[in-house]
Amino acid sequence: MAHSSHPGRIGTANVGSLGVDSRKLGVWTFIGSEALFFAALITTYLVFAPVNMARADAQNPKEYLDIWLTSVLAALLLASSLTMVLALAAVRRGDMKLFRVWLLATVGLGFSFLGGQVYEFTELYHHGATLSSSLFGTTFFVLTGFHGTHVLIGAIWLLSVFFKVQRYPDSPETVMDVELGGLYWHFVDLVWVVIFTVIYLI
Amino acid sequence: MAGDLAHEAHESTRFYWMVGAVLAAVTIVEVAITFLPLPHELIVAVLMVLMVVKGAGVVMYFMHLKGDARILQAVFVVPFLLATVMILLFLLLFSQHVGIAG
Repeated sequence: MAHSSHPGRIGTANVGSLGVDSRKLGVWTFIGSEALFFAALITTYLVFAPVNMARADAQNPKEYLDIWLTSVLAALLLASSLTMVLALAAVRRGDMKLFRVWLLATVGLGFSFLGGQVYEFTELYHHGATLSSSLFGTTFFVLTGFHGTHVLIGAIWLLSVFFKVQRYPDSPETVMDVELGGLYWHFVDLVWVVIFTVIYLI
Repeated sequence: MAGDLAHEAHESTRFYWMVGAVLAAVTIVEVAITFLPLPHELIVAVLMVLMVVKGAGVVMYFMHLKGDARILQAVFVVPFLLATVMILLFLLLFSQHVGIAG
Protein backbone atom coordinates (compact mmCIF):
# COMPACT_ATOMS: atom_id res chain seq x y z
CA MET A 1 0.00 0.00 0.00
CA ALA A 2 1.59 3.20 -1.19
CA HIS A 3 0.44 5.40 1.67
CA SER A 4 0.93 3.00 4.60
CA SER A 5 3.48 3.19 7.39
CA HIS A 6 6.92 1.63 6.99
CA PRO A 7 7.55 0.05 10.39
CA GLY A 8 10.68 -1.67 9.15
CA ARG A 9 12.41 1.66 8.70
CA ILE A 10 11.38 3.01 12.11
CA GLY A 11 13.27 2.45 15.35
CA THR A 12 11.70 -0.40 17.34
CA ALA A 13 13.15 0.44 20.77
CA ASN A 14 9.77 1.74 21.98
CA VAL A 15 7.58 -1.12 20.78
CA GLY A 16 5.63 -2.46 23.74
CA SER A 17 3.67 -5.62 24.44
CA LEU A 18 0.78 -4.39 22.24
CA GLY A 19 3.08 -4.53 19.23
CA VAL A 20 2.97 -0.80 18.51
CA ASP A 21 5.32 2.05 19.36
CA SER A 22 4.38 3.19 22.86
CA ARG A 23 4.95 6.85 21.99
CA LYS A 24 2.61 6.56 18.99
CA LEU A 25 0.02 4.83 21.16
CA GLY A 26 0.36 7.65 23.67
CA VAL A 27 -0.10 10.37 21.05
CA TRP A 28 -3.17 8.65 19.55
CA THR A 29 -4.65 8.29 23.05
CA PHE A 30 -3.94 11.97 23.70
CA ILE A 31 -5.60 12.88 20.39
CA GLY A 32 -8.63 10.81 21.43
CA SER A 33 -8.90 12.83 24.65
CA GLU A 34 -8.47 16.05 22.66
CA ALA A 35 -11.43 15.02 20.49
CA LEU A 36 -13.57 14.94 23.63
CA PHE A 37 -12.16 18.28 24.77
CA PHE A 38 -13.07 20.05 21.53
CA ALA A 39 -16.42 18.26 21.40
CA ALA A 40 -17.23 19.85 24.77
CA LEU A 41 -16.33 23.32 23.47
CA ILE A 42 -18.29 22.85 20.22
CA THR A 43 -21.29 21.52 22.18
CA THR A 44 -21.15 24.58 24.44
CA TYR A 45 -21.14 26.92 21.43
CA LEU A 46 -24.09 25.12 19.79
CA VAL A 47 -26.17 24.78 22.97
CA PHE A 48 -25.75 28.46 23.83
CA ALA A 49 -26.36 29.71 20.27
CA PRO A 50 -30.17 29.97 20.66
CA VAL A 51 -29.73 31.22 24.24
CA ASN A 52 -27.46 33.99 22.93
CA MET A 53 -30.10 35.09 20.42
CA ALA A 54 -32.80 35.21 23.11
CA ARG A 55 -30.89 37.53 25.42
CA ALA A 56 -30.92 41.32 25.48
CA ASP A 57 -27.19 41.44 24.67
CA ALA A 58 -27.57 39.08 21.67
CA GLN A 59 -24.94 39.21 18.92
CA ASN A 60 -25.80 37.45 15.66
CA PRO A 61 -22.76 35.45 14.44
CA LYS A 62 -23.83 36.00 10.80
CA GLU A 63 -23.25 39.73 11.24
CA TYR A 64 -19.77 39.28 12.65
CA LEU A 65 -18.06 36.29 11.03
CA ASP A 66 -16.21 36.72 7.73
CA ILE A 67 -16.57 33.57 5.58
CA TRP A 68 -13.96 34.72 3.04
CA LEU A 69 -11.25 35.28 5.63
CA THR A 70 -11.92 31.97 7.34
CA SER A 71 -12.03 30.18 3.97
CA VAL A 72 -8.48 31.39 3.42
CA LEU A 73 -7.56 30.17 6.91
CA ALA A 74 -9.11 26.77 6.12
CA ALA A 75 -7.07 26.61 2.90
CA LEU A 76 -3.88 27.45 4.82
CA LEU A 77 -4.40 24.65 7.37
CA LEU A 78 -5.40 22.18 4.67
CA ALA A 79 -2.27 23.04 2.68
CA SER A 80 -0.19 22.65 5.86
CA SER A 81 -1.58 19.12 6.34
CA LEU A 82 -0.47 18.28 2.79
CA THR A 83 3.03 19.71 3.31
CA MET A 84 3.24 17.83 6.64
CA VAL A 85 2.51 14.46 5.07
CA LEU A 86 4.94 15.27 2.25
CA ALA A 87 7.60 16.02 4.89
CA LEU A 88 6.94 12.61 6.46
CA ALA A 89 7.14 10.89 3.07
CA ALA A 90 10.43 12.69 2.36
CA VAL A 91 12.05 11.72 5.68
CA ARG A 92 10.91 8.09 5.20
CA ARG A 93 12.76 7.85 1.91
CA GLY A 94 15.77 9.69 3.38
CA ASP A 95 15.38 12.86 1.30
CA MET A 96 16.42 15.28 4.05
CA LYS A 97 16.51 18.35 1.80
CA LEU A 98 12.85 18.01 0.78
CA PHE A 99 11.98 17.05 4.35
CA ARG A 100 13.31 20.41 5.61
CA VAL A 101 11.49 22.30 2.85
CA TRP A 102 8.12 20.67 3.53
CA LEU A 103 8.41 20.84 7.33
CA LEU A 104 9.35 24.53 7.32
CA ALA A 105 6.53 25.16 4.82
CA THR A 106 4.16 23.49 7.29
CA VAL A 107 5.36 25.71 10.14
CA GLY A 108 5.13 28.78 7.90
CA LEU A 109 1.55 27.95 6.91
CA GLY A 110 0.73 27.40 10.59
CA PHE A 111 2.03 30.83 11.57
CA SER A 112 0.19 32.36 8.60
CA PHE A 113 -3.00 30.80 9.97
CA LEU A 114 -2.28 32.30 13.38
CA GLY A 115 -1.66 35.72 11.80
CA GLY A 116 -5.03 35.47 10.07
CA GLN A 117 -6.72 34.49 13.31
CA VAL A 118 -5.16 37.43 15.16
CA TYR A 119 -6.47 39.70 12.38
CA GLU A 120 -9.94 38.13 12.68
CA PHE A 121 -9.98 38.55 16.47
CA THR A 122 -8.83 42.18 16.17
CA GLU A 123 -11.57 42.97 13.64
CA LEU A 124 -14.20 41.32 15.83
CA TYR A 125 -12.99 43.29 18.84
CA HIS A 126 -13.26 46.58 16.92
CA HIS A 127 -16.81 45.65 15.91
CA GLY A 128 -17.81 45.04 19.52
CA ALA A 129 -17.54 41.25 19.80
CA THR A 130 -15.35 40.41 22.77
CA LEU A 131 -14.91 37.57 25.26
CA SER A 132 -17.52 39.19 27.54
CA SER A 133 -19.80 41.02 25.07
CA SER A 134 -22.33 38.18 24.71
CA LEU A 135 -22.72 34.41 24.93
CA PHE A 136 -21.68 34.30 21.27
CA GLY A 137 -18.48 36.20 22.08
CA THR A 138 -17.67 34.00 25.07
CA THR A 139 -18.29 30.63 23.42
CA PHE A 140 -16.76 31.67 20.07
CA PHE A 141 -13.53 33.10 21.47
CA VAL A 142 -13.03 30.22 23.93
CA LEU A 143 -13.47 27.62 21.16
CA THR A 144 -11.43 29.30 18.43
CA GLY A 145 -8.89 30.63 20.95
CA PHE A 146 -8.19 27.13 22.24
CA HIS A 147 -7.85 25.92 18.65
CA GLY A 148 -5.41 28.72 17.85
CA THR A 149 -3.42 27.81 20.96
CA HIS A 150 -3.22 24.23 19.68
CA VAL A 151 -1.95 25.50 16.32
CA LEU A 152 0.74 27.49 18.12
CA ILE A 153 1.76 24.46 20.21
CA GLY A 154 1.82 22.32 17.06
CA ALA A 155 4.06 24.81 15.24
CA ILE A 156 6.46 24.90 18.21
CA TRP A 157 6.41 21.07 18.33
CA LEU A 158 7.28 20.84 14.62
CA LEU A 159 10.04 23.43 14.99
CA SER A 160 11.51 21.39 17.87
CA VAL A 161 11.42 18.29 15.63
CA PHE A 162 13.17 20.28 12.89
CA PHE A 163 15.99 21.38 15.20
CA LYS A 164 16.31 17.90 16.75
CA VAL A 165 16.73 16.36 13.30
CA GLN A 166 19.28 19.06 12.46
CA ARG A 167 21.21 18.27 15.66
CA TYR A 168 20.89 14.45 15.48
CA PRO A 169 20.49 13.62 11.77
CA ASP A 170 21.31 9.92 12.20
CA SER A 171 18.94 9.21 15.09
CA PRO A 172 16.85 6.04 14.55
CA GLU A 173 13.94 7.93 16.14
CA THR A 174 13.80 10.59 13.41
CA VAL A 175 10.96 9.10 11.36
CA MET A 176 8.83 8.48 14.46
CA ASP A 177 9.59 12.00 15.77
CA VAL A 178 8.26 13.47 12.52
CA GLU A 179 5.27 11.11 12.44
CA LEU A 180 4.21 12.00 16.00
CA GLY A 181 4.45 15.74 15.41
CA GLY A 182 2.55 15.21 12.17
CA LEU A 183 -0.26 13.29 13.90
CA TYR A 184 -0.86 16.21 16.26
CA TRP A 185 -0.70 18.70 13.38
CA HIS A 186 -3.24 16.78 11.29
CA PHE A 187 -5.54 16.59 14.30
CA VAL A 188 -5.41 20.39 14.63
CA ASP A 189 -6.42 20.57 10.95
CA LEU A 190 -9.19 18.03 11.60
CA VAL A 191 -10.63 20.20 14.37
CA TRP A 192 -10.64 23.20 12.03
CA VAL A 193 -12.54 21.14 9.41
CA VAL A 194 -15.31 20.75 12.00
CA ILE A 195 -15.14 24.34 13.33
CA PHE A 196 -15.16 25.80 9.80
CA THR A 197 -18.33 23.91 8.89
CA VAL A 198 -20.26 24.06 12.15
CA ILE A 199 -19.37 27.59 13.32
CA TYR A 200 -18.70 29.55 10.14
CA LEU A 201 -20.65 27.93 7.29
CA ILE A 202 -23.80 26.75 9.12
CA MET B 1 14.90 -3.20 -4.47
CA ALA B 2 16.07 0.42 -4.41
CA GLY B 3 14.08 0.99 -7.58
CA ASP B 4 10.96 -0.44 -5.93
CA LEU B 5 11.37 1.88 -2.93
CA ALA B 6 11.86 4.91 -5.18
CA HIS B 7 8.77 3.95 -7.21
CA GLU B 8 6.74 3.43 -4.04
CA ALA B 9 7.88 6.81 -2.65
CA HIS B 10 6.93 8.52 -5.92
CA GLU B 11 3.52 6.84 -5.88
CA SER B 12 2.83 7.85 -2.27
CA THR B 13 3.81 11.46 -2.96
CA ARG B 14 1.49 11.57 -5.96
CA PHE B 15 -1.28 10.01 -3.87
CA TYR B 16 -0.92 12.70 -1.17
CA TRP B 17 -1.16 15.46 -3.78
CA MET B 18 -4.32 13.81 -5.12
CA VAL B 19 -5.88 13.63 -1.63
CA GLY B 20 -4.93 17.28 -1.05
CA ALA B 21 -6.54 18.29 -4.35
CA VAL B 22 -9.76 16.43 -3.50
CA LEU B 23 -9.91 18.06 -0.03
CA ALA B 24 -9.33 21.50 -1.57
CA ALA B 25 -12.11 20.88 -4.10
CA VAL B 26 -14.48 19.79 -1.31
CA THR B 27 -13.66 22.99 0.61
CA ILE B 28 -14.48 25.13 -2.43
CA VAL B 29 -17.80 23.29 -2.84
CA GLU B 30 -18.53 23.81 0.88
CA VAL B 31 -18.12 27.57 0.62
CA ALA B 32 -19.94 27.84 -2.74
CA ILE B 33 -22.99 25.90 -1.58
CA THR B 34 -23.71 28.41 1.20
CA PHE B 35 -24.40 31.04 -1.48
CA LEU B 36 -26.89 28.91 -3.42
CA PRO B 37 -30.63 29.60 -3.03
CA LEU B 38 -31.37 26.23 -1.44
CA PRO B 39 -33.39 25.31 1.67
CA HIS B 40 -31.29 25.78 4.82
CA GLU B 41 -31.90 22.18 5.92
CA LEU B 42 -30.53 20.88 2.61
CA ILE B 43 -27.44 23.09 2.85
CA VAL B 44 -26.80 21.89 6.42
CA ALA B 45 -27.17 18.24 5.37
CA VAL B 46 -24.79 18.62 2.41
CA LEU B 47 -22.26 20.52 4.55
CA MET B 48 -22.31 17.78 7.19
CA VAL B 49 -21.67 15.10 4.55
CA LEU B 50 -18.81 17.13 3.04
CA MET B 51 -17.35 17.74 6.51
CA VAL B 52 -17.32 13.99 7.18
CA VAL B 53 -15.67 13.36 3.80
CA LYS B 54 -12.93 15.91 4.53
CA GLY B 55 -12.39 14.67 8.08
CA ALA B 56 -12.22 11.04 6.94
CA GLY B 57 -9.71 11.98 4.24
CA VAL B 58 -7.43 13.67 6.76
CA VAL B 59 -7.66 10.84 9.32
CA MET B 60 -7.39 7.89 6.94
CA TYR B 61 -4.78 9.14 4.48
CA PHE B 62 -2.82 12.00 6.10
CA MET B 63 -2.82 10.43 9.59
CA HIS B 64 -2.55 6.94 8.06
CA LEU B 65 -5.17 5.50 10.42
CA LYS B 66 -6.47 3.37 7.56
CA GLY B 67 -4.43 0.18 7.69
CA ASP B 68 -2.77 1.11 10.99
CA ALA B 69 -2.78 -1.16 14.08
CA ARG B 70 -6.23 -1.94 15.53
CA ILE B 71 -5.27 -0.63 18.96
CA LEU B 72 -4.34 2.76 17.46
CA GLN B 73 -7.65 2.88 15.58
CA ALA B 74 -9.52 2.01 18.79
CA VAL B 75 -7.94 4.65 21.04
CA PHE B 76 -8.99 7.34 18.56
CA VAL B 77 -12.27 6.06 17.12
CA VAL B 78 -13.89 5.15 20.47
CA PRO B 79 -13.53 8.62 22.08
CA PHE B 80 -14.35 10.24 18.71
CA LEU B 81 -17.63 8.35 18.52
CA LEU B 82 -18.31 9.19 22.16
CA ALA B 83 -17.69 12.87 21.37
CA THR B 84 -20.05 12.72 18.37
CA VAL B 85 -22.80 11.08 20.43
CA MET B 86 -22.29 13.70 23.16
CA ILE B 87 -22.74 16.57 20.68
CA LEU B 88 -25.86 14.99 19.14
CA LEU B 89 -27.43 14.21 22.51
CA PHE B 90 -26.87 17.74 23.83
CA LEU B 91 -28.34 19.20 20.64
CA LEU B 92 -31.33 16.88 20.96
CA LEU B 93 -31.85 17.98 24.57
CA PHE B 94 -31.14 21.70 24.24
CA SER B 95 -31.67 22.65 20.58
CA GLN B 96 -33.83 25.80 20.48
CA HIS B 97 -33.99 25.65 24.27
CA VAL B 98 -33.60 29.12 25.76
CA GLY B 99 -34.84 28.38 29.27
CA ILE B 100 -31.33 28.74 30.69
CA ALA B 101 -30.84 32.18 29.14
CA GLY B 102 -30.69 33.70 32.60
